[in-house]
Amino acid sequence: MRPYQVGTAAAIVLIAAAAMFDSRAAFAPVEGTAKGDVGASWYPFWTAAVMGIAAAISGFRALTLPQPKEGIFESRSSVAAVLNLVIPMVAYALSFTWLGFYLATALYMGLFAAYLGRYRWYWTLASGVLTPLAIYLMFEVGFKLLLPKSVFYPGIPF
Amino acid sequence: MEVFGLLAGGFGTALQPINLAFLLVGVTLGLVIGVLPGLGGTSGVAILLPISVVIARGDIAGANSTTAIILLAGIYWGALFGGVITSILFNIPGEPWSVVLLFDGFPLAKRKGKPGLALTSSFLSSFVGAFIATVLFTLFAKEIADRALFFGPPELFAVFVLSFATLVGLGAESPLKALAMLALGLLLAAVGFDTITGQARLIPLSGTDNETLRGLQINLLAGIGFVPVTIGLFGIGEILASAEEQGIGYMEKISAKLGFKDLLEAFAALRQRWFLVISNSVIGFLFGVLPGHGATAASFLGYGLARQYSKNKEDFGKGEISGIMGPQATADAAGVASLVPMVTLGVPGSPTSAVMMAGLFVWGLQPGPLLFTEHSDFVWGLIASIYVGHFLTFVICLLAVPLLAAIMRVPYAIITPFIVVISIIGSYSLNNSMLDVSFTILFGLVGYWLRKMKYPLAPLVVALVLGDSTERELRKTLIAGGGNIGFFFSSGLATVMIALAVVILLLPFVRPAIARARGQRPAAAHAAD
Repeated sequence: MRPYQVGTAAAIVLIAAAAMFDSRAAFAPVEGTAKGDVGASWYPFWTAAVMGIAAAISGFRALTLPQPKEGIFESRSSVAAVLNLVIPMVAYALSFTWLGFYLATALYMGLFAAYLGRYRWYWTLASGVLTPLAIYLMFEVGFKLLLPKSVFYPGIPF
Repeated sequence: MEVFGLLAGGFGTALQPINLAFLLVGVTLGLVIGVLPGLGGTSGVAILLPISVVIARGDIAGANSTTAIILLAGIYWGALFGGVITSILFNIPGEPWSVVLLFDGFPLAKRKGKPGLALTSSFLSSFVGAFIATVLFTLFAKEIADRALFFGPPELFAVFVLSFATLVGLGAESPLKALAMLALGLLLAAVGFDTITGQARLIPLSGTDNETLRGLQINLLAGIGFVPVTIGLFGIGEILASAEEQGIGYMEKISAKLGFKDLLEAFAALRQRWFLVISNSVIGFLFGVLPGHGATAASFLGYGLARQYSKNKEDFGKGEISGIMGPQATADAAGVASLVPMVTLGVPGSPTSAVMMAGLFVWGLQPGPLLFTEHSDFVWGLIASIYVGHFLTFVICLLAVPLLAAIMRVPYAIITPFIVVISIIGSYSLNNSMLDVSFTILFGLVGYWLRKMKYPLAPLVVALVLGDSTERELRKTLIAGGGNIGFFFSSGLATVMIALAVVILLLPFVRPAIARARGQRPAAAHAAD
């Protein structure tokens, strides 16, 4: 657990450092600021400073104090279960621009049912077709909320 | 009393057919969300925020912003009850606030063979807890709001500081990690245009010639949306955590059908424990009013209190009914109470009420004391709907447990991608923005990791929604005082609140020192971490 805790704290410190660098104007006088006002950069600078200091102390404590022995994941199967979800999810979101929401959803639901669920083809097909259809009826027809369309098939609702 | 007249008017609003219909939809959806382990009340409310916008702007005949808040609040009430079913029948917490039911709820259902009693006693105590909290809400909310109307920038800033201090100092997790998350939330809220000077802030790689990056920078100038971040942290983050548990594998299951006998038995149990349920409800209300704590922390507090003051301590963990009724009453009372600071002060009491508060901003309402004077129908309609909503939820739970439990039979390979799909719809449709979808996925992964590293997410979410207001009040105070820091202490109330905030912030660091001085071992290694 120790390296992960320290690594996470270090990442937060890095973000804080970048934000402080971006807000370095906190120490430069800005023309036109109202009397008494601290300007636009002061607040993000000190917020980032607090974040960095808190994360640094947290990381230091993780480095020096006893930490739980167990690993970050319970087993290999739990890592696989997370990756099985993350990879298709990222691919699904990336495919919106080319496939549009409905085709991407049909593929995502169908492939999930086939690959992870190992369902028979008709259940896979039902999952892939009925989900986007239900969403289309509820969101686009019912609530008039438009979802992303494909750039390749202009004019059709998918 | 004036409040009873106002409440009667609120019932008139809440019982309008359109509001009643959306309340029913809300509590039913909330129950489903509560039963599903991968989807929580917070993300459920966030996902439906775009639909609430359609409702609030009156696109549906007869509906308005009151209908929208009734829908969202209904989801919360349903989710508060729904998690119970999964915990008691499947030994899996459907919601974070029902984790505590695994200790006695599941053993009562399995070892003692009384799933009906476990469920009905839980629903009954939830209902009583929520009812008591709603009565307190009714009696005190207007009083608090009337006083808050006279708050100036120093008092408002002090309220925010006190809220943040309770998140850091009274949270269950490491205060340093909570502080880092709080600051991260404030920092994310600062991205984009400064609302006072109009300067661009925290825009990465400014001055680049890359077209894609410039497009991203232009989008970022409007700020990072609260809804996509919350759906990511609580929706995608939870589903990833749930996927990991599915990977581990084992799931218990008990069947239950509730009968009149179970209800009578639950009433008898309540009669024996009336003092515990009422006192825990009042404590839950007081605890829930504190920003950021909501139902989850309250449920553990309620369990601790029930055990502490029980004559049968040794029965706890083996199916003791007090171990179900105590935490349930506290959790539901805290859930209701978390709306009190949102409505009266414009400060969310829990991550779920933070999402609702974001909804109010989107619908064009300003959360805070002015709601009571400018949108009285809205506030009293909401308060009345809490009574009606909890009654509806209670009745549905008694009638439909087998049906709700059947949701758990929907296979993982269908329900999991479906939750991802609706999370992405919720994130996209508020602004029709693919950048928001990217934020949802990014913050989903970040939230999952932070959860594993035991970084609390509630301070991040509350700070993100309050960040702009905090900075505005800070700078207005400085401008009003001409840069004099003493102006923060210009009123007695502001001074007391800031002093209280300092004490609360120091608590986690002082407690271990006191324990050491008394020769005791600090309770946890990270007590001051």
